[in-house]
Amino acid sequence: MPSPLPPPPIPPIAPIVPIAAMRDAVVAGDAARARELAVALVASGTDLIAAVEDGFGAGIRRVGELWEEGEYFLPELVQGAEAMKAAMSEILPALALRRGGSLARGRVVLGTVKGDLHDIGKGLVGVLLAAHGFEVHDLGHDVPVERFLAKAREIDADIVAASALLTTTMPEQRRLAEAIAASDLARKPKVLIGGAPTSPGWAASFGATHAENALRAVAAAEALLP
Amino acid sequence: MTFAERLASGPVLLLDGGMGSMLFARGLGAGESPEHWTLARGSEVVAIHRAYVEAGSDAVQTNSFGAHPLRLAAAGLAGRASEVARVSAAHARASAARYVIGDIGPTGEYLPPVGLGDAEEFRRGFTELGRAFAAAGVDALHVETMSDLAEARSALAALLEAAPGIPVCVSLTFERRRRGFFTVMGDRLEEALPSLRDAGAAAVGANCTLASADFLALATTARSSCAGPLVFQPNAGAPRLEAGQAVYDQTPEEFAADVADIAAILGATGGAGAVGGCCGTDPRFIAALAAELARRGLR
Repeated sequence: MPSPLPPPPIPPIAPIVPIAAMRDAVVAGDAARARELAVALVASGTDLIAAVEDGFGAGIRRVGELWEEGEYFLPELVQGAEAMKAAMSEILPALALRRGGSLARGRVVLGTVKGDLHDIGKGLVGVLLAAHGFEVHDLGHDVPVERFLAKAREIDADIVAASALLTTTMPEQRRLAEAIAASDLARKPKVLIGGAPTSPGWAASFGATHAENALRAVAAAEALLP
Repeated sequence: MTFAERLASGPVLLLDGGMGSMLFARGLGAGESPEHWTLARGSEVVAIHRAYVEAGSDAVQTNSFGAHPLRLAAAGLAGRASEVARVSAAHARASAARYVIGDIGPTGEYLPPVGLGDAEEFRRGFTELGRAFAAAGVDALHVETMSDLAEARSALAALLEAAPGIPVCVSLTFERRRRGFFTVMGDRLEEALPSLRDAGAAAVGANCTLASADFLALATTARSSCAGPLVFQPNAGAPRLEAGQAVYDQTPEEFAADVADIAAILGATGGAGAVGGCCGTDPRFIAALAAELARRGLR
């Protein structure tokens, strides 16, 4: 007697989370709503990667566009990134569980160089990198080269990102890149730099990558990953 | 004539230029706060003020930009805000400038949602500076390089209360966006300046971030949206790094031509306001500006 046909797969019973709602929550900078949608998304069992890309990810990209167009300012940008981060804090553990491992896209050591107290742009880079799934270790401001190196060694960093907002502290970025190159690290992290007075030419002069602003820093970090 | 009378009735006042770049030129190290020199190397600071007075500045601004207690603490000078205010005022006075302006910069922190700053702590620090500068007998106060209107308003309110009778000027720092001039927090020039004036500022305006050519457009917008004295201190072009040193390409004469145009926009009669320079400007820029203002009969 032939065996009966297998039963059709059972569709997920949880409600589908609308993609547009995810995007809108980030564009509106609504962290509570973004988290709520992320919890529902995880419970729904749908493809998390695709949903993040088209939903929350589209939202943070839109926030970035609005910022570059001069429609959004620092408060909106920070709130959008916080909403993205809130959603990712629910989604990343679920993804890691499904995949049976860590999902961090890369490990980044971040800081403002020694002698420089400008924290805001650097902080923004941290928030946006975390929102995009990077494991970010923010050392704060006035960070000496040695501390960058020690942390990079400790976490086996993929990227060391250093901000300088003063022409007088920019040379620390070069010192950092040279110290990494001269170090005995088996896997030398890539160096990413930024800050108002810096330029691609400045970065290139010591083999580093330059990012013009916090959003470009995310794209640059993604491009630097192995 | 008091500063307030001069501001209200006289032609445009000539302020000083950059302090930080002058300190660096004299050997201030990276990572060393300018206020440290106020406390430890006063004769250098006095010499810079004197150079500006000789160049033609009617008023000099104290070397106390980073004197808010929060910022001083970050620079390893916790608890010394009043002292910095008092000593920096004495240095400015020693230059024999006609007017001494107590300079007050931002806290270095940001209020929520951007940062974790505590508004009450902001206010307390500004109050301490206001009391100390008032006791030191400054002619005016200048809150400058503010990128958040809320912080600027907090400073203004605290200073008006802590230093009664002393005129308080307020300058924000603006970026040029597609839709006009905004602070990074999104405060629009045309609304921010009148709101500070209504809140009691003796003069309102802008400094830093932009160079003189952009300031010309900024001043035009400001004049058409805000009555009363205005104050502008542009940078000397954008810096580039050459052999580890900041280099500014703009010449003093180019700067002077733009800023004299700004002074003309402010008006040739009483209540015009004040002009000077910010990052990258030095006594050569102020001397060129003084000559250009005189040539055009604006001062």
